[in-house]
Amino acid sequence: MTQKRKIIAGMSAMAAASLVLTGCGGSGGDVDADGNVVIELAQWWEPELPDGELRGLIDEFEEQNPGIKVELLSGPYASTREQLVTGAASGTMPDVVGLDGSWVNDFAKQGAITDLSALMAEHDYDDSTLASQVEVDGSTYMVPAVNFVYPLYTNDALLAEAGVDQPPSSRTEFADAARAITELGNAAGTAMPLSLETPSGVQNQVMSWLWASGGSMLKDGKPDLTNEGVVDTIEYFDELYQDGVFAPGAFTMKEQDMVEEFTNGRVGMMVDSLAHLTMIRESNPDLEFSISALPAEDGYDGKRGIPYASWGLGIAESSEHKAEAWKLFEFLMSEEANAELASMAKAFPGNTESVPDFVEDDELMAEAFDIYQAGYPANEFTGLPVAEDLMRQMNEQFQSMLEGDISVDEMLETTQESWSAEF
Amino acid sequence: MALTDAPVSTQTLVTKRRVARRPVTRGGRRRTAKVLTIVGLFLGALFAGLPVLWMLSSSFKSNTQIFENPPRLITETFSIDAYVTIFTDPEKMRFFVNSYVVALSVVACTLLVAILTAYAFSRFTFPGKELLNVVIISVQAVPPITLLIPYFGLIVLLGLYDTYPGLILTYMVFTLPYAIIMMTGYFNSLPRELDEAVRVDGGGSWTALWRILVPVATPGIVSVGMYTFMLAWNEYLFALTLTRTVEMRTVPIGIQLLMGQHSYEWNEMMAMSIVGSIPVLVLFLFFQRYFIGGLTAGSVKS
Amino acid sequence: MSTVAERRGRAEAPAPGGPRRRGQGGAPGVRRSEPFLYVGPTVILIGVLLVIPVVTVIGYSLFDNVITNPNPEFVGLAHYAALLSDTGFYTAVGNTLFFTIVSVAAHLVIGLVFALMLNSPLVGRTTTAVYRTIYVLPWLFTVAIVAVLWRLLLNPNGVVNYLLSFVGSGSTEWLSDPSLALGTVTFINIWAGYPFFMVSLLAGLQGISADLYETARVDGANAWQRFTAVTLPNLKPVIISMSLLDLIWTSQQFALIWMTTGGGPVDATELVSTYTYKLAFTKYEFGAASTAAVVVLVLSMILAVFYVRHQRAKE
Repeated sequence: MTQKRKIIAGMSAMAAASLVLTGCGGSGGDVDADGNVVIELAQWWEPELPDGELRGLIDEFEEQNPGIKVELLSGPYASTREQLVTGAASGTMPDVVGLDGSWVNDFAKQGAITDLSALMAEHDYDDSTLASQVEVDGSTYMVPAVNFVYPLYTNDALLAEAGVDQPPSSRTEFADAARAITELGNAAGTAMPLSLETPSGVQNQVMSWLWASGGSMLKDGKPDLTNEGVVDTIEYFDELYQDGVFAPGAFTMKEQDMVEEFTNGRVGMMVDSLAHLTMIRESNPDLEFSISALPAEDGYDGKRGIPYASWGLGIAESSEHKAEAWKLFEFLMSEEANAELASMAKAFPGNTESVPDFVEDDELMAEAFDIYQAGYPANEFTGLPVAEDLMRQMNEQFQSMLEGDISVDEMLETTQESWSAEF
Repeated sequence: MALTDAPVSTQTLVTKRRVARRPVTRGGRRRTAKVLTIVGLFLGALFAGLPVLWMLSSSFKSNTQIFENPPRLITETFSIDAYVTIFTDPEKMRFFVNSYVVALSVVACTLLVAILTAYAFSRFTFPGKELLNVVIISVQAVPPITLLIPYFGLIVLLGLYDTYPGLILTYMVFTLPYAIIMMTGYFNSLPRELDEAVRVDGGGSWTALWRILVPVATPGIVSVGMYTFMLAWNEYLFALTLTRTVEMRTVPIGIQLLMGQHSYEWNEMMAMSIVGSIPVLVLFLFFQRYFIGGLTAGSVKS
Repeated sequence: MSTVAERRGRAEAPAPGGPRRRGQGGAPGVRRSEPFLYVGPTVILIGVLLVIPVVTVIGYSLFDNVITNPNPEFVGLAHYAALLSDTGFYTAVGNTLFFTIVSVAAHLVIGLVFALMLNSPLVGRTTTAVYRTIYVLPWLFTVAIVAVLWRLLLNPNGVVNYLLSFVGSGSTEWLSDPSLALGTVTFINIWAGYPFFMVSLLAGLQGISADLYETARVDGANAWQRFTAVTLPNLKPVIISMSLLDLIWTSQQFALIWMTTGGGPVDATELVSTYTYKLAFTKYEFGAASTAAVVVLVLSMILAVFYVRHQRAKE
């Protein structure tokens, strides 16, 4: 009897102790103590922006919209997509979400994000100032707030050493320059980040060359990978790889690794996000480099597509405060706020009328802006179903092909087949 | 001596060896053993410690120099900026507080529950014991990635989203299988005579457990406790999913936040890792004495 | 007469002055319900928080369009058929077997060797304490940092290649070369995981009474013989338990692989865990992913049953 009592007493004590902790929890909820509506903005941008600036921008919104409070939820970029999927599945998705273009189709199909075209119609919104909208089946689901373009960076010192006096503007020039730099012995001509973890290398560093020459990998919205433009592009890279101009470690290289190699003068040329411009300058002030448009096929003189990645905005379908969420969306896309956001992020605004401050102060950025306006934003992966997986499928085949296991035609046929299955 | 004679006792073997290698003294063999051990220890330390040394060195570099070639251990921009940033950032400090609260609670709770359960497994038989054992072991095998969404849904349902208990219960459930198995093993190695001694004195199972078995199984308890702390401290996926706000997030999330889309804060990441590991190291040093000396030796002599 | 209710062993009130239970420690005063009280918390915790989600996952494997689509449709064993006929899955299984078995074996050997060295009476107390601390280091860091750190070290232009260049080797692509990637990733896992074995074995070594060694030495056994006759048999239970657990955990290792190679190059480091992750979060096929999970679960249950039977046989 005593024993059992002891046991039960012991257990109860533990249970009681654990209940005490139940009182401790995080804050958050829909309406706070002052009666304000609390909405959440989930994004991965805050850690990368200068300290406190995003919060400052949001505070401006709160001032202009009394009665609405915004909670900033920041998460690590690498886990954002899975967190959003998990949140959508359990009904805990934040009201306004930061999105990447490659997630839109799937989230829209899953009913996780709401139809923005409908909201725009409801609020009589004039969408002519929006630089681009990502649509699925005719309705907009995401609007890019800021765009990071991907120009060609060239290490001018290395180029000069290799006997090239200008950044290359055609594919042949690029190939020659790359070979010349590699021959110098202590640097690679170019780098290709082909990591399968984030296979955006296929989008930004491979297919971008196709778009720079006005080519396309789609026909009527369906995959068309066996056309001449695609074949030429892939064969071009195969040639470069066999010539050994790629920096070592390509198959598991991520974009950040490529940037580090370039910053340290070990890579001569790279196609990379404008977001790294400041970082490169700060890390290595002695590096002489310049920005130019991606090289196009020899003899091409049409408009060049510029690859871009964006920080986009969407609104959760399950949000209970769509009206307030819409206000936040409107604010972030308004001329002034959008310009501020673009300035903070050192990116190009999603509002056509916004002018970020760096265009005036910063020569290289101004140059990039010109390139941006001379060409057209090109990213055919945005809005495709399972876009990241499409990139990964192509990436795997691409690696196989470079290794010599399959031919270019086999690679493209296999990819075409696996892509078509997803459409 | 015919080699077909069986069995050959160790005595004979040793005698034969002594005769054959007379010049080598026992002291000499001891010396070789000692030298070998020291060399082994040193090589092992290189294996274990060099990467950590590199981590330490990186935490003092500026981000640019992390990737320089040829790499250097100490650079001219040696600075403690990364550490200063961490200690002056209230958000990051909150991560540490949360990690401590959660990890320590998990250790206490898991050990408690595991000791009780292991006692039952070790000292009793009851229907369902085998099934329970199998279930406990095999549920660990479900890949956490697939478990994530159903589990998260359950936590939200129970109202434990973004709370300490949510994390604590989660880690308890993750560490219980290991803790139970190990504690059962440790208890099994303790002779039943110990229990008998208590019974004879009129005590029951509860007394036997806490007065005798637990003190004697302390090295086992300490090592299980260490493991539990490690897991709770370093776990990332569920910590990220089960928390929403900075007030609840833990150190691994803090570290991953430094891995941005466009750039990593290398020195801060490494510094945060080092800072996170020091208290654990200190705990380990403190509990080291439980690894020294056999506590069961001679406990049952009467 | 047995009045025990469910096999799960929920607590129940004992009959007053109830019948004695059979089994060990059946001394006076031991109630039948006692063990159920002791295992109660575990049963509740694991039953509610683990078993329910696991059953949900098993359920998902029988449907298509789960989670991400409001209209799941029952497809029975279609996912299983698809999975078992997918060559990619078998590649993943093969890689996982290599990764797991090599990792666990190496963990055991290194852990044992280190534990023995640390336990050796030949070296002073302080030295041992210092080395003990150093040996525990790899365990202290979260997987993300381990992955990132080793990517840094194994970078073609990184420290490891730099040090090796003194011995003549060129710039090896440790993680990007399809023939080296799996071995490299296994090595990293070995580095990150051996302290667990070491610490448990150290604790186990403490439990071996010094008397046993003395007796063996008096009998004339040399160091190796003492090891095989005294140490190993006494450590056997710990070794078996830990190997089982390590097998199960290592087979699930995801973050380390994902953050170092992403399953690449091509599919050189594709493990079941990365395969499942891609199914779930990039193809949004949770039904198929759950199927892979169930396969892994079944394999582990088989292992677990063997282990439990083996334990029972020893009692």
